[in-house]
Amino acid sequence: MDMLFTDDQLALAETVRDYLAGTHGPEVLRRLDVDGNRDPAIWQGLVDMGLTGLLIPEDQGGLGMGLADAALIAVECGRACLAEPLVETAFVAVPWLVAQGRTSELAAILAGTTKPELSHAINPWVADGTGAALTSVDPLRNLTAAPAERSDDPLLLNLGALMSAAQLVGLADAMLAQAVEYAKIRTQFGQPIGAFQGLKHQLASCAVAIEFAKPVLWRAAQALADGLDSAAVHVSHAKVAATDAAQLTSETAIQVHGAMGYTYEVDLHFWMKRSWALSGAWGSRAFHLRRVDAAVLGGSHPVGPEHTFA
Amino acid sequence: MQLTYTPEQQAFRAEVRAWMETHVPKEPLITLECREGYDQHVAWERTLASGNWGMVTWPEAFGGRRLDLIQWLIFEEEYFRAGGPNRANQNGIFLLGPTIMEFGTEEQKARFLPPMARGEVIWAQAWSEPGAGSDMAAISSKAVRDGDHYVITGQKTWSSRAAFADWGFGMFRTDPESKRHKGLTFILFDLNSPGITRRPIRQLHGDTGFAELFFDEVRVPVENCLAGEGEGWNVAMATAGFERGLMLRSPGRFQATAKRLVELYRQHEAEASPTAREAVTQAWMAAQAYAYNTYAVAAKIMAGGKIGAEASLNKIFWSELDRAMHRTAMQLLGAHAELKRFDDGSINAWLEGYIFSLSGPIYAGSNEVQRNITAERLLGLPRVGAG
Ligand SMILES: Cc1cc2nc3c(=O)[nH]c(=O)nc-3n(C[C@H](O)[C@H](O)[C@H](O)COP(=O)(O)OP(=O)(O)OC[C@H]3O[C@@H](n4cnc5c(N)ncnc54)[C@H](O)[C@@H]3O)c2cc1C
Repeated sequence: MDMLFTDDQLALAETVRDYLAGTHGPEVLRRLDVDGNRDPAIWQGLVDMGLTGLLIPEDQGGLGMGLADAALIAVECGRACLAEPLVETAFVAVPWLVAQGRTSELAAILAGTTKPELSHAINPWVADGTGAALTSVDPLRNLTAAPAERSDDPLLLNLGALMSAAQLVGLADAMLAQAVEYAKIRTQFGQPIGAFQGLKHQLASCAVAIEFAKPVLWRAAQALADGLDSAAVHVSHAKVAATDAAQLTSETAIQVHGAMGYTYEVDLHFWMKRSWALSGAWGSRAFHLRRVDAAVLGGSHPVGPEHTFA
Repeated sequence: MQLTYTPEQQAFRAEVRAWMETHVPKEPLITLECREGYDQHVAWERTLASGNWGMVTWPEAFGGRRLDLIQWLIFEEEYFRAGGPNRANQNGIFLLGPTIMEFGTEEQKARFLPPMARGEVIWAQAWSEPGAGSDMAAISSKAVRDGDHYVITGQKTWSSRAAFADWGFGMFRTDPESKRHKGLTFILFDLNSPGITRRPIRQLHGDTGFAELFFDEVRVPVENCLAGEGEGWNVAMATAGFERGLMLRSPGRFQATAKRLVELYRQHEAEASPTAREAVTQAWMAAQAYAYNTYAVAAKIMAGGKIGAEASLNKIFWSELDRAMHRTAMQLLGAHAELKRFDDGSINAWLEGYIFSLSGPIYAGSNEVQRNITAERLLGLPRVGAG
């Protein structure tokens, strides 16, 4: 029993974080927004880092890592508000294809030339698909309808929900950081607004929500990696906790920014809108709450102090 | 990340379970907040000690088992699974014991820790004063040096279990010229010392859970001072860290409440609202989240890490979770919620628990103060102005 990431796992996530912070800052989001949403150089950079192969088995040329590693990196993609469909390609489609035994499709994904379009009954559209374009509130999402492939496999749903939850946690972290930074520099009544207790306490409540969503996410990632029967309950729990943390933090962050937060000019809106999009993607809050509810109140999932991990 | 128990950990769980199943009283004890209930709880402490289950994380030399934090979590899970009583000894186990281990001399450790572990001496915390609540640096009770004694004069209040307990640990101003957090000293004293008057205070539920303490020239030997004179603030901050941090409220307690709430919901399902249903599911999710977080923090500490201001996040989370769970239960109980005893004569534990849960956001540093700490120390917001 050891609920801790190894130093190697944390170091890899930090490398991705630093890379994205250096190459994919808010100015890049603004540029993409006026300039066609995608830049092949960004995708190529991710491919060159080996991230498309993170979950591809080593004998297929990938890094052969696990879902917990991927969840850690998906958090970083959320933090950077990454628009490229790395998470859906490498952390949702790849493990699903591997589980299906469709290994022949992996080489093209590893090379970055294919981004599989997978959808599920619960998630009828995909980002960066080839179908008819839909307009999302998220300006960088490139949402499309009627994807080529559709499955009702619960594993696909669980992967999609888990990785959405991971991105939501990263988005929430980033929105909290932006609000805190703004609260330190904006002054009113002769002091930084961050010295006002009314704002401090709201921001502290966001920190609480995020802090307690994270271990739920790690638990869910490991449960899915271990193939537990109860993985669906843990994934749904993570999606609800991450959605709630992101929602609270986005509403708090805009409030802290005042009218600035209501503009298209302040970067916060990119993160806020991504969080709205991912909150509903791969199963809404209501869908996931019902799954937990059915298992816990329905009696199929054991409840009580001795059942933390069983 | 490895989320399965080793065979040794499973065997340990079985050992605790077997012991608890034979020893935990079948009938719930009377509340700890009255004489008779206090005596029952102290007797339970001695039963625990007889099985060497009193202070499981302490070193063997002081009466413990030197369990690691994962074993401690397993112990707590089994304790609450079995419906183990509240701990009369909680101040000793989680607050004073660790503080003495960190700051005490070898003599102090040998003198105070073993009787604490055996449940022979029950300790009360005497920090708060009428003028010093959240603002503990405003403490004004004095300890004046007179040869090899301190002479204590002043007043402490809200001291849990002090109406019945044996010894107290307090913070007193030893330097009359000092201001705020300088010049405070951490002193241990016998509650039966001449000059101490205890006035029990009735709590919200009507019982005397805490007491006021009046000190009228109480003479305490200098060797009862913990760490040096004037070091009280640093010692108290360490103690407060233990209180808010990992150990005061282990997850098992809240998981047990969540389980009872799920069972209550099933009984009331026909008339329950969808909001109540969601609140019950939420209770289970939050109690589990708290447990996962505690396992993660335990792993971090075992790997050599520390918890600092994150302890404030913990304190906010468990206290607000506990209140929310009991509020939901009160709503589910409807007309029965107000009954102190149900029709069958059994105690309405939800009502007692709801009342107690209202104190969680107040004691161990109010949640407003915890949010200040979170904002300033974790998020780095400025300390200007109010707060
Ligand atoms: C059940 C129970 C058991 C207790 N047991 C003990 C014990 O054993 N030993 C002991 O020494 N003490 C004990 N206490 C006392 C406890 O530590 C204090 O109640 C606590 O520190 C708050 O102090 P106070 O009650 O004076 O409230 P105050 O400090 O007067 O606070 C009143 C309100 O003002 C708010 N407030 C105060 N300062 C700030 C600030 N800077 N920013 C924002 N809001 C603020 C508080 O959050 C609270 O809402 C116990 C209390 C309870 C309820």
